[in-house]
Amino acid sequence: METLLTAFLASTVRTATPLALASLGEGMCERAGVINLGMEGTIIAGAFGAAVGAAAGGTVLGIAGGALAGLVVSCVFGIFAIWLRTDQIITGTAVTLGALGLTSALYRVTFGTQGVALSIPTLAPLPLPLLSSIPVLGSAFFSQPVLTYIAFVLAPVCSWFLFRTRTGLIWRATGESPEAVRSAGGRPVQVQLLATSLSGLLGGLAGACLVLSQVGTFADGMSAGRGFIAIAVVALGRWHPSGILAASLLFGGSSALQYLFQAAATAIPYQVFLALPYMMALVVLTSGRRGHAAPAALGGKLENSLS
Amino acid sequence: MRIPHFLSAFAAALALACTGDRSKDADASTTFRVALLTPGPITDHSWNAGAYSGLLEIRDSLGAEISHIQTKTPAEFEENFREYGKRGYSLIFGHGFEFQDAVRRVAPLFPKSVYVVTSSQLAGPNFAGIRFAFEEPAYIAGMIAASVSRTGVIGLLGGTELPPVHAGFTAFRDGVRRVRPESRILVSFVGNWDDASAAKEQALAQIAQGADVIFQNADAAGLGVFQAAREKTGVVVIGSNSDQNGVAPDVVLGSVVIDLPRAYLTVARVIRDGRFTGSVFELGAASEVVRYVANPAMPGRVPHAAQVTADSVWQAFVNGSFHLDPDEATRETSR
Repeated sequence: METLLTAFLASTVRTATPLALASLGEGMCERAGVINLGMEGTIIAGAFGAAVGAAAGGTVLGIAGGALAGLVVSCVFGIFAIWLRTDQIITGTAVTLGALGLTSALYRVTFGTQGVALSIPTLAPLPLPLLSSIPVLGSAFFSQPVLTYIAFVLAPVCSWFLFRTRTGLIWRATGESPEAVRSAGGRPVQVQLLATSLSGLLGGLAGACLVLSQVGTFADGMSAGRGFIAIAVVALGRWHPSGILAASLLFGGSSALQYLFQAAATAIPYQVFLALPYMMALVVLTSGRRGHAAPAALGGKLENSLS
Repeated sequence: MRIPHFLSAFAAALALACTGDRSKDADASTTFRVALLTPGPITDHSWNAGAYSGLLEIRDSLGAEISHIQTKTPAEFEENFREYGKRGYSLIFGHGFEFQDAVRRVAPLFPKSVYVVTSSQLAGPNFAGIRFAFEEPAYIAGMIAASVSRTGVIGLLGGTELPPVHAGFTAFRDGVRRVRPESRILVSFVGNWDDASAAKEQALAQIAQGADVIFQNADAAGLGVFQAAREKTGVVVIGSNSDQNGVAPDVVLGSVVIDLPRAYLTVARVIRDGRFTGSVFELGAASEVVRYVANPAMPGRVPHAAQVTADSVWQAFVNGSFHLDPDEATRETSR
């Protein structure tokens, strides 16, 4: 029973990690008033960048490649949606579709139809001294690849930045009322471009996580909707970094539970289990307190943005 | 003087392009042109990769002009079937059961083209399915899995529960039960064919339940299953569709292979020679298109006696003295 519980918790953390990275990026972006529907594209680009980087020069280059590819994709989104003021929803969708197609094509060009198979070096788990020897929890939470720890440390860092620093205040104000920020002498366009870049960096890391700490290869479309789930996770976490981390873990947990239920050989149709994480998200979304609402200026366009 | 120069060059290029086009049109009636629609990427080392090698084989062996396109939605299936029909392709493959509705609608509009759907029972004047007896080698794989497993727990992991996948799993299960009636069989589905990360987690969940042999049929997502087995000692995987023994030689016990290149070539020859009769292409053990291929890098893993029994059952499939009831598998699926 203990091994099964450990297996469940470890699976929860593994499933939650890429989701947490992407959702934190998306959450920071939305806090600045930008809804980045290009997140799915950012993740798949990150996965591809990580595969190329790792195949060329090991896992460190893989992480860098993933982050860089994510950054490039989000910059494309940023240039159009923020600088040129195109509609964020449409631009984000276009960026996602474009990145999904482009990574498939580039993958074929780079590695041929045989692909990289399972030859990419992967990140070994990095057990933390002492903590990893805690029974049950230790091996699940403290014996994970480095990207997992980055996700966990990032949540409090983002919280501190948003709520304890002056830049964080301007960042949040941009999401609520960019006009007010501008009249106070701030630069909302710069803030939003920065926020979008950060979301790209983290989305890229989420993709790198799929390749480097999970599967050990690239597969077309392996982001499998995580970018869209991230947008739901942000709402579920009430636009607060620690809430987002908790929501990612909840989603990871219900996915892990789903995997275990399916594997436990029951007569219930598997589609019921597949729907489980989404049903759980709906329940939480509708039952929660109406605390933090979405940033007021979310998805809006900046007028006279070049001022 | 520059502009006229440029213009004349442009006109010359245009004229060249036009004649080029005309000669191509004249060729169209004589060259054998073959198109392929796959439901997923041809880099998956499995179902779609096999079809693409088949297409290349048709080009190399029959001198055909080929075209491939990757499609996702039923609307795209129809759109592309129409497009290839309009352009006068002689043979158009839809690679998988999911293409059969689109073919049923489009094929009658282009009577000069022949539409072929893999893993389907479809038949008509200019369209037909290929029915692979995938369940025959899957049955053999089940017998071998049962003889190799130490725990007596065996996992089945699929993308989605398409009828051909279900039929293969049912036969595999029957094969397992023939050797070890008391064994426990776990069945999981990823829900799609791309999410390699989820497939890996599901494989780990099956391993946590004690599974030490996993039969995967999840295309690109299946790569995650191999990775899961690599991280856990004593777990082996049986691959599907293509020969996946080389994908992860350290953990693959064998592969249930549909020799798609051979099947595609067989079908293309029939169409090219005008021998198409409008009935389903039945390709089973006797055609050598389907078979179980043991991984040569893992010798001695299967007990000798079990291998001998499996071989004799395979011979019975080949000479037709033993066969599985495909209707039974189909009926169970329609629940």
